[in-house]
Amino acid sequence: MTSENNINVMPGAIVCEESKLDGDITIGSHCIIHPAAIISAEAGPIILGDFCLVEEQAKIIHRLRPEQTNNETTPVLIIGSHNVFEIGCTVEAAKIGSNNVFESKCFVSNKVNVTNGCIIGAGCKLIEEQTLKNNTIVYGSKCFQREGLDRPVTQTAQMDTLSKMLPNYHHIRRPMKKDYLN
Amino acid sequence: MSYIILPDVVHYACTCGILKPISKLYFCRHCLELRCGFCVCHEADSHYCDKCAENLPSSEARLKKNRCGNCFDCPSCHQQLSTRAATVGPKNPDDPKAAPRKVFYLLCLLCRWSSRDVGIPDQAAVSGGWPERENIYAHRLQEIQDMYKAIVLSDKQQKLDKDKKKQRRYMSFTDRTGITASMLRKRIGWPDVPNPLLKAKPTELNNKAIAKEEVEEFPEDLLTSPVNLSLATTMEQRLVQPEWQPTTIDKLFPIHKHLSVKRSQRCRSCEHNVSKPEYNPNSIKFKIQLFAYYHIPEVRIITVEPLRAGKVSELLLKFSNPTQHQTSITLFPYKVDDVIACEDNRTEVISQSSEEKGSGSQPSSITHTSLTRQPSITIKPRPIKTRVVADVVVPNASFVLPPRDDAAEYDDSGDAHNIQNDPKIVVWRKSNKAVIKLQVTPNSDLNIGDEVTTAFTIQHIYINTITTVENKEPQKCEHKVKVFLTLGNLVGGS
Repeated sequence: MTSENNINVMPGAIVCEESKLDGDITIGSHCIIHPAAIISAEAGPIILGDFCLVEEQAKIIHRLRPEQTNNETTPVLIIGSHNVFEIGCTVEAAKIGSNNVFESKCFVSNKVNVTNGCIIGAGCKLIEEQTLKNNTIVYGSKCFQREGLDRPVTQTAQMDTLSKMLPNYHHIRRPMKKDYLN
Repeated sequence: MSYIILPDVVHYACTCGILKPISKLYFCRHCLELRCGFCVCHEADSHYCDKCAENLPSSEARLKKNRCGNCFDCPSCHQQLSTRAATVGPKNPDDPKAAPRKVFYLLCLLCRWSSRDVGIPDQAAVSGGWPERENIYAHRLQEIQDMYKAIVLSDKQQKLDKDKKKQRRYMSFTDRTGITASMLRKRIGWPDVPNPLLKAKPTELNNKAIAKEEVEEFPEDLLTSPVNLSLATTMEQRLVQPEWQPTTIDKLFPIHKHLSVKRSQRCRSCEHNVSKPEYNPNSIKFKIQLFAYYHIPEVRIITVEPLRAGKVSELLLKFSNPTQHQTSITLFPYKVDDVIACEDNRTEVISQSSEEKGSGSQPSSITHTSLTRQPSITIKPRPIKTRVVADVVVPNASFVLPPRDDAAEYDDSGDAHNIQNDPKIVVWRKSNKAVIKLQVTPNSDLNIGDEVTTAFTIQHIYINTITTVENKEPQKCEHKVKVFLTLGNLVGGS
């Protein structure tokens, strides 16, 4: 849809050049985007919060529901901070809060609102229209839901290691200059 | 066990009449019969925990209700719980030198249930010492159990007494076992010492369960307050803890892990083991593994032409010989109620050794009373109920399969075996495998879309390498096995 890619990378973020970023995307500081990750802002801009980790083959797609397409205002997908998108997940959620974990190969459709501290378990598919409460955990082949005690722990050590390792082996997209921001 | 040729379309008829793929069959080398999981005796060899690999004697396992003392399952999703470490501040925060303490809690990696969810305090040791919950009805249960045990014992005692009274006149126990102390006492008129096990007379329960007239009042808030399903437990979660049957998730507590069992399987008729694992829980090897896959020629379907009712189709089958000995395969048509083949699947071919023995004029009875035990149970094979709806034209000639040679895979020099192939039967051959061509004709009364099953009997030469005292040489036997092939569905047209 969008002919021109407008990628804004905040300082401190590590965005591999090979990653596929389409559309109007703003990536928050200290984010890590792996080389084979796909972020596609089809329907409108995506704003990724700070300290997000997008692993290999993860897809974040901003896709509108059919009834929203006629609206004149273009909606913005705002993704909170400290989210982890694990390998092979496909996330099209309409809203994503903070501290969520999307485990490997899970699928979240664009009818789902994800709040804060949720864990979508490996291979779980959320298709129906719903809003996940804070700290919801979806697990198992039947996608059982339960409420967690606390939000999942942030993977600081993993992020630190990756931010040291990735620049050694990959070309990194250059973040915007600080003075430009001001 | 999943098998590399799924979907399973080739079935072998077990001696008991059940059709199974070859990977699920055993082959008893002593009675030379196929056995399956349904017609062997299963014995629990050892109990072990598959998480911590601890081996428990069966008595201890029973005492612990067949559960591991150290490992836990998640009460929420029944997966294994793993121990997680966390660091907390030192015991006395005022002391700046005190090192931070490590504490441990249980976490389920699937549903993220943790022992902190239900307020179980963190433990200082890795192995835990997790609080055990007492069943409040444990005493009552024990009481009832004891009562029933006593009833069973007293029943037994009564029966014994009855039998004794009947038999006393006619039979003396001393004839068999010598005089016992209890009999001596009786004879000289002393009272019999009661068996310690039998001491308990069926005791009445001191507090019987009484039906109550008044029941608890209906809680109104069930109707008024909104239902929060995320707080209620599922049926599975309740049933997995029958002692507590928690109704809300705050009462879910870790479940002691069930023990697993290593089991050996025994042929029912000759009581030899067909499968016996090693005792060590860490080992996946077997002491005895008489799987049919290692002894019986394997049949695979290569291709079959489209099947049409009453029309001849060509069927290509691959036979492979898994044994270290050359074998010869002869096909016979399948007969329903093939009684002779059922009862006598094997006929001993005169082997070289017995020829020698024949000259030595040894009584033939000795050759048979070998170390192999006599069958204790003879089980009549059940008839096979699978309907065979296609005829196979089996060739009259037999064909030879060379022994299996693992190195042959890497040998490009071609087959050294000089085997005369009958080109009408054998179309391809490599090392221990051969592809043969058969003609199959589905019955003319079949409808389009019907599944076509055909069958035939394989006779193969089996070299029995079990050496006995009298019989040092391997014996050659002819073994017959029925093979059922599911060829696919009938198609229409011409």
